[in-house]
This record gives sequence, C-alpha cells and structure tokens, in this order.
Amino acid sequence: MTDLTGLDVQNLTKTYGPKKALGGISFVAPHGGFTVLLGPGGAGKTTTLRLLAGLEPQTEGQIFLDGQEISRLAPRDRNMAMIFDNLALYPNKNGFQNLASPLVLKKTPMEEIRKRVFSLAEKLNLTLVLDRLPKTMSGGEKQRLALGRALIREPRLFLLDEPLSSVDAPLRFKLRSELKRLQKEEGHTFLMATPDFTEALAVGDTIIMLHEGRITQVASPQKLYDQPVDTRVAIFVGSPQINLFQAEFREGQLAFLGLSCPCPARLAPLLADQGRGFTVGLRPENAALVFDDTEVKPGDILGEGVLVDIESLGRTMALTLKCGQDLITTLASASVLSQITIGQARRFRIKDPNLLLAFKPDGRNFLV
Amino acid sequence: MLNRPLSLAQIPLIVIGLVLCLFPIFWLVMTAIKPPIDWNASPAIWIPSEPTLINFRTLFNPDAIRAYGVGGVSQAATRAVMGSILASISATFLAVGLGLISAIGLSRYSRTNWATPLIILSGRMFPPAAIAVPFVIIFSLTNLMDTYPGLIAVYTAVTLPFSTWMLKSFVDDLPREMEEAAMLDGKSRLMAHLTVTVPLIRGGIFSTTMLVFILNWSEYMFAQVLSNTELATIPVQLAKYVTATAGTLYGVQAALAVLAMAPLIVGGYFIQGHLARGLTFGAIKK
Repeated sequence: MTDLTGLDVQNLTKTYGPKKALGGISFVAPHGGFTVLLGPGGAGKTTTLRLLAGLEPQTEGQIFLDGQEISRLAPRDRNMAMIFDNLALYPNKNGFQNLASPLVLKKTPMEEIRKRVFSLAEKLNLTLVLDRLPKTMSGGEKQRLALGRALIREPRLFLLDEPLSSVDAPLRFKLRSELKRLQKEEGHTFLMATPDFTEALAVGDTIIMLHEGRITQVASPQKLYDQPVDTRVAIFVGSPQINLFQAEFREGQLAFLGLSCPCPARLAPLLADQGRGFTVGLRPENAALVFDDTEVKPGDILGEGVLVDIESLGRTMALTLKCGQDLITTLASASVLSQITIGQARRFRIKDPNLLLAFKPDGRNFLV
Repeated sequence: MLNRPLSLAQIPLIVIGLVLCLFPIFWLVMTAIKPPIDWNASPAIWIPSEPTLINFRTLFNPDAIRAYGVGGVSQAATRAVMGSILASISATFLAVGLGLISAIGLSRYSRTNWATPLIILSGRMFPPAAIAVPFVIIFSLTNLMDTYPGLIAVYTAVTLPFSTWMLKSFVDDLPREMEEAAMLDGKSRLMAHLTVTVPLIRGGIFSTTMLVFILNWSEYMFAQVLSNTELATIPVQLAKYVTATAGTLYGVQAALAVLAMAPLIVGGYFIQGHLARGLTFGAIKK
C-alpha cells in the first residue's frame, strides 16, 4: 500500500563531533517533481543526499518515501538511485555490465536484462559504447551511462549529486535540458543538489535553498529570483550579483546612492516604520546607462557615476560605476562598447522602481 | 615512465648507479659457483675458470663438500628453506588479510585522520631489538619459543602496521562512491567491499604482499633470537656457515643466498609495474 506522496523529510540532523553539518531540515520532494537543493559548498547538500540514501546514519530525524518510513533501512532496501558527482562508474566493467549490474544483483533473468539494457541504451544513445570501458568514453557518454545505471532499476526516487559538474560547460547545458525532459516524460521523482543557481533555475520545479546546514528558502525558480528571502539568497542567486545599498525612507521616497526614488507601494508602509538603516537591492538588469537624452522620460530616476570596470559577458557587458562611496553594476549591450571608456562620468537610470527589493537590518526581505 | 631520450650527462651516472647496485649480486652469484679453492684466492678470482655446482649440492647434502677437503657443515639447509617458506607465506597472508580489513575500516569508517595511523605506526618507531626482549619473555611463558606459530605471530605483528598503512593509501585513492553505488544497487556493505573495493585495489594488494613477503623472507634478528633447535629460516641458516673448523664457507653461503633471492626476483618481475607505486607508498596523491 503505497501512496504516491514522494519524499517527506522531517528534522533531518547530522553532526560530526561538535560540528553540525545539518541543523534539522524538513522538506518534501513531491512524486513526479524535480526538486533542487541549491546552496554554496559546505551548505549540507551532499550530506542531505547521503543521509537520504542511507550511506551515513542521520543523528536525528525521519525520512518517509511514499508514506513508508525508511529512516533506518540499509541503502539497498530504500529503493533509491543516486548519481554521484564523480559518477562512480565501475572502471573494470564495460557499458553493458555497468548498466546491467543493478539487475544482475536482483537476479533478473539474463534474457530480460539484455532486453532492458538494449532498450535503455537506445533511448540514452549509448548503444555504441556498451562494449567499451568507461575510461574510453566521452564525458557525455559517461554521464548518460551513470544516468542509465540509475534509470534501469526504476527506483522510486533519484538522488543527483551535482551530476553535471564533471562535464564541460557546453555539454552541461545540453545535458541539463535532456535531464529535465526525461524526468518530465517518464514522471520520475528527482532530487538534485547543485551549487549552480543557473542550473537550479533551469531545471527545478521547486528550489530548496540551503545555507550552513539550514533551509533558508523554499520557492519556485521565479519566486526565488524575484523575492529572495534574505540578502544571502539574493547575492547567491543572480549574476552579475545584485547591488545592495544602505537606504533611508523619506516622505514616501527611497533615498540611496544620492538619488531619490518612488517607493514600491507594497513596501511603503513597512519602510515607513523602519525609517532608516535598511538595505535596498537593485538587480543589475534593472539599471541602464543613458547614452542619449531622448531616452530619458520625465519622472525617470537618474543617477551619475564614474565608470570603473567593464566586464564582457559575450552579448552583454557588466559595467561598474562608482557613485560616491558606492559601486553599482549595470548590464548593457555589447554594442555600446565603442562609446564608453573607463574613467568616464556616466549617467544611468533605474528602469522599474517597482522591482526594487528591501531588506531589514538583519538581512531579511521585508516582503517574504 | 619517462619517455624522453637520456642526455649524455645522465648515462655515466646511471652506469655508476647500476654498478653499485649490481656488483654485490654479481659477486654473490660468482662465489656460489666457485670451487672451495677459489673462495679466498688472492688476487681475487672474478669469474671462476671451472664453475661448479658443488656449493648447491652441499646445501642439501652436507657431506658433498668433503670431496674438496672441506668439512664442518653440520646440517642440510632443507629445513631452513621449508621453514622460511612456511613462516613467510603464513605471516604475509595474515598481515595482508588483516591489514586489508583494517585499511578499509580506517579509510572508510574512521573519522580520526591522524591518531589511529600514528598509533599503528608507533610500533615501527623504535628498533626491532627493543621489542624482541618482551617477545622472548612472553613466548617463554607461553611455550611459543622455538615454534613456527610463535615466529609467524611475531612476523604478523611486525608487518601488520606496514601493510595496513600501505593498503590504506590505496583504499584512500579509490573514490568511496564506487562501493556506495554498489550498496545502492543492492549489495550489502561487506559484499560491496569484497566485490568492488578489493578488485579495484588489486594492484595495491599485490605490491603490499610482495613487500611484506620480502620483509619476512629476509628477517634475521627475530628468527635468530626465537629459534633454538626446532625453528630454522634461511637467514639463520646463512649465519651457520661460519664454522670453527673450516672458517666461513663462502661458496655455500653464497649458494643459499642465491637460492633465497630467486623467488623475490621472479615475483618482482611480475609485479614490477605495481612495485614502483608500492615503494612510494601513498607519497603521491593522484
């Protein structure tokens, strides 16, 4: 009697000696969903996956999978598959044997093993490497083989520990969309750990943000980007990094960077109580240089600064201006490169004041 | 392996090195085939004009040498050769087997990363003679003096830290995810180690076995201290060819030494690829 509720984790805690690696986290990864654990190195992502897989015992907490408690079961009894960051293919076995190994261990008849391995190999485009050893395969082939070894068992939950970290950037982009398509088509339940916010935003249905062994935010990708719960999340999610400025609230206006800007309606009553000492967050894409006075409309929020850095991002550029003591980073099209030089004084405008974020002195978002 | 041509300056240095290493072996082999009259000849005879196998025959038939007017060998070397084979193989098997279990335990299931290895290796931090005395006392009390089980126990105890430490470096180099993947695929912890960890560090196990075997095979002090009438090993036997009546039987001694080297050279040839790695023993990571 299995209800398809997916994974339910309650108060999962892990301490190594005096060090707390995981401080009691609770979350769900719904059946058929793609849930992502996002966080910087050392946040506890890998520890979480290892505890879920049963590779290490948790200090405290319960784990339920489809309604059944599995907190103390051996790894092989948990019906999960894990893809490791180093893939952990058996180096002494060829592609076929790597794919077949979970079935062989379950004493599946050879006839059925062959059928399933060949059909999966076809789906993952691995037919040509079945008789080759992992060391002779390309990064993408190894990656797909590791995925195949997990898929062939049809487990109830897939744990993916930075599965794309071992492949080159262009391939990573392609593989992550394949991964997402596969998950959606087959209705698998995925829980993936990654330190890369672009990857998390690209594939995740829900993102669980981890910092120092605690969950700081659980949100959809868009929500995570638009309303990060605190300055740490705001800084971690987004590139180039969000601009943060000390700000004051004066007569319905936000004052920062020496300019005055109408306050977003939802924020006004909250900021009126706070008054001063809070932080305003401005995403780089919400600020733009002004090259031509015709661009400026009445009511635009304009500021001025000295250009101190130009960083190419390909089609776009990140431009950093110094405004008094503060630095502000904006995005601009690469086509304007000929019109700017470092050391120039330049005007910029804030495109949409309603997208400004405000954080309390302790770093928390006023609106979340 | 280096894959570039040697420079002119390197060649003489390599020749000097080879001569220093190989000359004693050359002299040993030549002495083993010299008739008694050539053993002490002055000036020294480098290559005997009439090579003979009499020294080898004398090893197993002490009276053979009398035909040359030399006496004084009391005992055939057969017992010593058998004793060395028994003690070395048993102790090597035990030390590598127990060492493998310890190495996996230390590498995978221990959070202490300095204390345990330090304690393990402390047994090798003082001269072996210092541990010989307590062994003699304990073995006298337990009737293990002059017995093979006693000698095997000492050899195991002395080489176990070495094999544990060396095998641990091989297990450390193997990503733990290899065996964890097997555990998720359906293996128990024990089976995952037996079928994934052990085969993947096979080379390391070979070179550890070889090195431990060499240590046991060439050990002299413990065998000498612990033996009386029952126990004999090749190194102890070698020392017995210094006799009161006939002086040192250089040729016979050399013959036994050549025989003792043979298995090491054959074994070393087959695992030379692994041996280089074994000798640097965890010095390099990746």
